[in-house]
Amino acid sequence: MTTTIVLQQAINGVVLGSLYVLVALGLTLIYGVLVQINFAHADFVTLGAFAAYFFMHLVGAGYIISIGVAFLVGAVLGWLINAAIFTPLRRKGNELLPLIATIGVSVMMQNLMLAWFGPIPYAFETPYSSQVIRFAGIYVSWQNVIIIAVSSVTIALLYAFMKFTFLGKALRAVSQDRETAGLMGINPNQLIMLTFVIASALAGMAGAMLAPVLVLTPFAGTSVIVKAFAIVIIGGFGNVEGTILAGLIVGLIESYTTQYLDPGLIDIVVFALLLVMLAIKPTGLISERREENV
Amino acid sequence: MSDPAISHDLAVPRTALRARRMGFLLAALAIIALPLIFNDTYWRTNLTICAINVLLALGLDFILGYTGQLNLGHSAFYGLGAYVSTLLIVKLGVPFWVAFVAGVAFSGLAGMFLSLFAVRLRGHYLAIASLGFAVIIYQILLNWISLTQGPLGIYGISPPPALIIAGIQLADFRNLTAFFYLVSGFTFLVYLLLNQLVRSPVGETLTAIREDEVSAASLGINGAAWKVFAFGIGAAVGGAAGCFYGSFVGTLVPDAFFVTEAFNILAMVIVGGMGTLIGPVFGAILLTLLPEVLRGIGDLRLVVYGAALTFVVLFMPGGLAQAARIVQEKLRFGGPGS
Amino acid sequence: MITAVRALFVSVAAIGLLAVGQSAHAQDKTIKIGALFPMSGPGSYFGAQDKQGVELALEQLNKTGVNGYKFAVQYEDSSCGPLPATQAAKRLIEQFKPDVIIGEECSDATLAVMPIVEQAKVPLLNAGSSSIKVTEPGNPWTFRIMPNEVMQGVNLADNAYKRMNARTAVLLFENTNAGIGNAQVFKENFIKHGGQVLAEIGFGRDVNDFTSIATRVAGLGKIDVIPTYTLEGQGLKITQALAQAGVTKGGGGNAIQIGTIWLPFGFEQKAGKAALGYIRIVQFDPTETRDVVKNFSAAFKAKYNADPTHLNAHAYDQIMLIADVVKRGGKDPQSIRDGLAATKSYSGVTGSVEFDKTNQNTKMDTVHYMETKPDMSWTSLKWN
Repeated sequence: MTTTIVLQQAINGVVLGSLYVLVALGLTLIYGVLVQINFAHADFVTLGAFAAYFFMHLVGAGYIISIGVAFLVGAVLGWLINAAIFTPLRRKGNELLPLIATIGVSVMMQNLMLAWFGPIPYAFETPYSSQVIRFAGIYVSWQNVIIIAVSSVTIALLYAFMKFTFLGKALRAVSQDRETAGLMGINPNQLIMLTFVIASALAGMAGAMLAPVLVLTPFAGTSVIVKAFAIVIIGGFGNVEGTILAGLIVGLIESYTTQYLDPGLIDIVVFALLLVMLAIKPTGLISERREENV
Repeated sequence: MSDPAISHDLAVPRTALRARRMGFLLAALAIIALPLIFNDTYWRTNLTICAINVLLALGLDFILGYTGQLNLGHSAFYGLGAYVSTLLIVKLGVPFWVAFVAGVAFSGLAGMFLSLFAVRLRGHYLAIASLGFAVIIYQILLNWISLTQGPLGIYGISPPPALIIAGIQLADFRNLTAFFYLVSGFTFLVYLLLNQLVRSPVGETLTAIREDEVSAASLGINGAAWKVFAFGIGAAVGGAAGCFYGSFVGTLVPDAFFVTEAFNILAMVIVGGMGTLIGPVFGAILLTLLPEVLRGIGDLRLVVYGAALTFVVLFMPGGLAQAARIVQEKLRFGGPGS
Repeated sequence: MITAVRALFVSVAAIGLLAVGQSAHAQDKTIKIGALFPMSGPGSYFGAQDKQGVELALEQLNKTGVNGYKFAVQYEDSSCGPLPATQAAKRLIEQFKPDVIIGEECSDATLAVMPIVEQAKVPLLNAGSSSIKVTEPGNPWTFRIMPNEVMQGVNLADNAYKRMNARTAVLLFENTNAGIGNAQVFKENFIKHGGQVLAEIGFGRDVNDFTSIATRVAGLGKIDVIPTYTLEGQGLKITQALAQAGVTKGGGGNAIQIGTIWLPFGFEQKAGKAALGYIRIVQFDPTETRDVVKNFSAAFKAKYNADPTHLNAHAYDQIMLIADVVKRGGKDPQSIRDGLAATKSYSGVTGSVEFDKTNQNTKMDTVHYMETKPDMSWTSLKWN
């Protein structure tokens, strides 16, 4: 009985964790390259969710295709926010300006979505959410299997892209040492744009996969974003491997805190871990080999 | 008052000093006049909220603009001030002003603790540590129901006791105007004190640390200690705002101190112009009144508010303070001098 | 800088004048109703539906008027929080000068507004706040037509123990004033009867995934009832997660979810089979055969092409009760207050209304028990 519960909560935690990873990876990619935070990232998740919902319900397309649509919507949003906010503000000196500007964007997006979609939660049913696999007292829905599968594949692709392609290597180079990257003959502006597009596409996609799981309202994304911030720090800013690990850990913390303590305490446990991490190892779970001037 | 740059101040010319005194006098007159001009309870409430938010913005600006410490969790000190003072009053029957001092001190100490903890972290690491601190404080206020009532809330918090000197009642703080004078008077005092502080050698020291901590250290300045000091001051000011909040609204629920409140305060500082004291004052007033003024346009008011915030940052990156400076310079060169 | 100060003064003064100008538009023979609804943030879930109900009522009333009076409503966004609600209430009172105010939904906001309406001597007619503190001790200017958390909780605990023969319960509730309050009342009374509460699980409104909570519930042994106190969004997820974990009837288990007012008609269509057997108190029973209910449902459907929810119905009842008071001679804040207090067996779409000394509606026919059938329709259980 107890081992089944422990196992079941592990599965629950991993499902949630892999969704958090997708959201947090976008934040960490942007941070790695620009040392900046896009506060509207959460709303990209929400809009991705709505995009998938309406694509499924209005066009009648399948769920998997609608995940792709949300990916594209996210990509467009990423391009837009970079062109409209981050590029113009880059030369203005104050690193807090983009953060505040994107808070404005976030307020605007939430309330526009509220005006369009209304406050009443949508029921996003996919053909997979009601099909459940049961085995030895453990269960998992096909929806969750898809979540784990799609996020694993995406994360693996992203990882391979970063490790093995020229562009990916360039991204890593920029995030680790901007001057050297400039010397390598890489146009940093294009790289930054690419980063925003990838990061936001991940957010949109995460939205499509979160939509059947969470309560789909114009405020859906905000409930994930505070945890995504925590994951980015615990994993070490700009560190992809660390973020993946941290995301899974936070997912597991959530399910085990629910089981053994109280769901009300989840944020306290997560952020206490964050403060402990900052105190003992501020560079994150996995340190990259780079000069830390923290 | 007109020139926010602090480094030249020790040799400030006499005319500038006089202009600054003029400015203070005008500000004092404005504070006295405002509730007389806006003489309904709705506007007087807004004015008082403005004064509370100015206090919050000043505290955060002192931390952020004068020592360069990225504090994303100012809502925590606001909330601590509110809950510590209110709980002392409600649960232990402590007199308001004693509870006020306790709330301010507690917030200040919490700020120093956080800064001490984060003193070896810089930039965004401190930002996130402070954000994490704010999340934890909020969750404690929410979950420690036996102490804070959590989401059940504390109701019927009384305003500060009437000011009675020699048997004559000078001010009854159940009266909105009196309450406004109390908060704005306190805020004015804090402004004057911070203004003195940043223009004193202490301010010079803080600027030196903000600009280059290593060189400052070579001059024998203990950067860490000064930063902890500054964080403590800023957090204590935030705590004072919290003490006023509880007794003004009369109701306390943790949601008022959610982390988004920290971002609101941050936006006030940035929109006003961080690193100046006068900027955040107007930033706070603007961002407090804007959503109220926009009530007229109905459902889309927050869309307009969000757009306004974005555009202000995009086109006035130095905030209102910088915009005012530009206007002033144009006047100086264009017209017959000011 | 002085220029900037001046500019700000002038603009603020101009706005102030504008506001004063607006309020001078008051027409004769109009009953002015101020509406404090949450219209922004997650609380707009309430406000948007309230507004529909109000608009329908206005449309019907203003065709002919009542006693020569027309009705005008001014909405103010009170954002479900004490401070914004306070500001919205003061703005309404100063600038719109209402004869009566309806709202808020969230208990914190209502409680914060109560001293203000009392001071201004404007009656506040509340429907959606369940906290007992609204009417106990209450104040002479605040009325509530919805049965409070104690009335609902005691009744639900009685029925769970006696009619459903439940002996064990697990409480699931959102960590809000209403969630905690309702759960506590149920717990006290269920234990008083001899029932056993196996776990009390509270969660924030930002919790997304209820699989972990359902897993925990599934491991608690034999559960008879699961009183659940959340809004529609989280309610859906909980119901589906509990069914998936095999805890509730909808998932092949034995436990039955029960609860109060929070979930609208139409919830089942979204939740699907998982909702099977769910028994709950609803404020508005669309299967009722009283004429007011049938007419309201038909008119609502004609106007919005949707079935009305309890929130639509509550808002409609608030306006219609005010109209009834006007019919009985109410014409200004004081006479409307007195008229509300003198209400005797007023028949609204959510049930009847009669206030006690604390201005709480005492009529228990506002408590309708519903059970979800296999075809996802509702059966009225007639337990009250």
